Amino acid sequence: MIAAGIEALNVYGGCAYVDVRELCTYRGLDMPRFEKLLMREKTVALPYEDPVSFAVNAARPLVQALEEAERERIEMVITCTESGIDFGKSLSTYVHKLLGLKPNCRLFEIKQACYSGSAGLQMAINFILSGTSPGAKALVIATDISRFALADAEAVREWAYSEPSSGAGAVAVLVSDRPRLWRVDPGAYGNHAFEVMDTCRPGPDNEAGDADLSLMAYLDCCEQAYRDYARRVEGADLRHSFDYLCFHTPFGGMVKGAHRQLLRKVCKASSQEIDADFERRLVPSLLFGQRLGNTAGASVLLALAGTLEAGDFSAPRRLGLFSYGSGCCSEFFSGVADAGGQQLLRRQGIPAALDRRQRLSMEEYETLLKGGEVIRFGTRDARLNHQLIPSVWPAFEAGRHLVLDRVEAYHREYRWAGEPG
Amino acid sequence: MERDAVLAIILQQIRTVVPELENQPMGPGDSMADLGVDSVSRQEVLILSMEALNLDLPMVQLFGPRNIGELAELLHGKLPA
Repeated sequence: MIAAGIEALNVYGGCAYVDVRELCTYRGLDMPRFEKLLMREKTVALPYEDPVSFAVNAARPLVQALEEAERERIEMVITCTESGIDFGKSLSTYVHKLLGLKPNCRLFEIKQACYSGSAGLQMAINFILSGTSPGAKALVIATDISRFALADAEAVREWAYSEPSSGAGAVAVLVSDRPRLWRVDPGAYGNHAFEVMDTCRPGPDNEAGDADLSLMAYLDCCEQAYRDYARRVEGADLRHSFDYLCFHTPFGGMVKGAHRQLLRKVCKASSQEIDADFERRLVPSLLFGQRLGNTAGASVLLALAGTLEAGDFSAPRRLGLFSYGSGCCSEFFSGVADAGGQQLLRRQGIPAALDRRQRLSMEEYETLLKGGEVIRFGTRDARLNHQLIPSVWPAFEAGRHLVLDRVEAYHREYRWAGEPG
Repeated sequence: MERDAVLAIILQQIRTVVPELENQPMGPGDSMADLGVDSVSRQEVLILSMEALNLDLPMVQLFGPRNIGELAELLHGKLPA
């Protein structure tokens, strides 16, 4: 069988963030509960950023690193998001143009809440495994942005802990038959899905749902998707088959709870064993999520990136991934990474890029929450003000990042910061 | 098992998961959220309660109760007759 998996991966975590502890203090949220979120920072998208700019900023370094002949083999671009900007036209059409890819290419978008990134990755992997276009590559980009619009004091109360935990980010992965970063275990996966109204986005600017029901569905899925995996994969052993685990991370505390239940139910593990196992197999995966916040569709890929950045790959390691998307669909799957993959990932310099983000004061953050400059879904014409928060713009220029410039007859026009418009 | 015994088991699990509530008076009319039990710990209480009752149900079947008394009622109804 053809080897398939991830050839290269990059994360884009924006140019601005808020310190989550500062935000919780500012909002008067309970500190012991804050600690349980296991969050440090959250990326804040500026009004002139959208899921397209995030996606392109994540993918551009991967595409630039390819030889011309290799770049021409990108035959599929899948965008994975719950932050869409149009009902018909997919983000991938913009991404394809802005990355200068060839026209013989499949372009489409996948939606299934936070599961979208895994759905996209699996579609791409199966395209490679099918062998229908030998040597082809697929670019999968999970890109999600949460925006809070400050309607009134009541809104802040309703957000509660979702405000500090919701972030923004994009993860781009190049999928091919040269899986130097992470090689999938073909056929090793398990699903669990059922209709549930836990959380949803019924309108372009609002979210609805129930946190308890969502946690319950996540926990059910985590156990049952793993059990489906174990049913398919002979000899699968939750304790010993996986050196690391990477879970969809709404916030770190959720992952801790899910891991606890999974080990208790599947392995009858003691509390002591569970705590040690969490530290050893899951904590590396939280590295970037703690700094970006919940990135929805990108979150499980972000967990994978964190594990590759922070884990010990002195020998090849098998990673078990669990992805959950409200509504709901979930998957447990696995693959292998080695020291070469870790080296490749580290070459992207993700921690340093996150360090270069500008920390927003609460005053600047509140200016953004007022939302006056945000491009609402369905906007026909607009011109973006890149100086809304003057302290942040130099970070965009220094990174030569893509930003939204204007909207003309619904068409979004972008420009590279720091380059002549 | 009587419903009050189920209630006692739930209260015991709450005190196990949130030791700070050890001396806090609580009863069927209280909700875990109002007692300050966070969302992840609330699930933990449900999991431990099910274990103690020898129940193995999907978590989503336990959604809905507005207070501990209603939760006891629901779990009691799930016990084999």
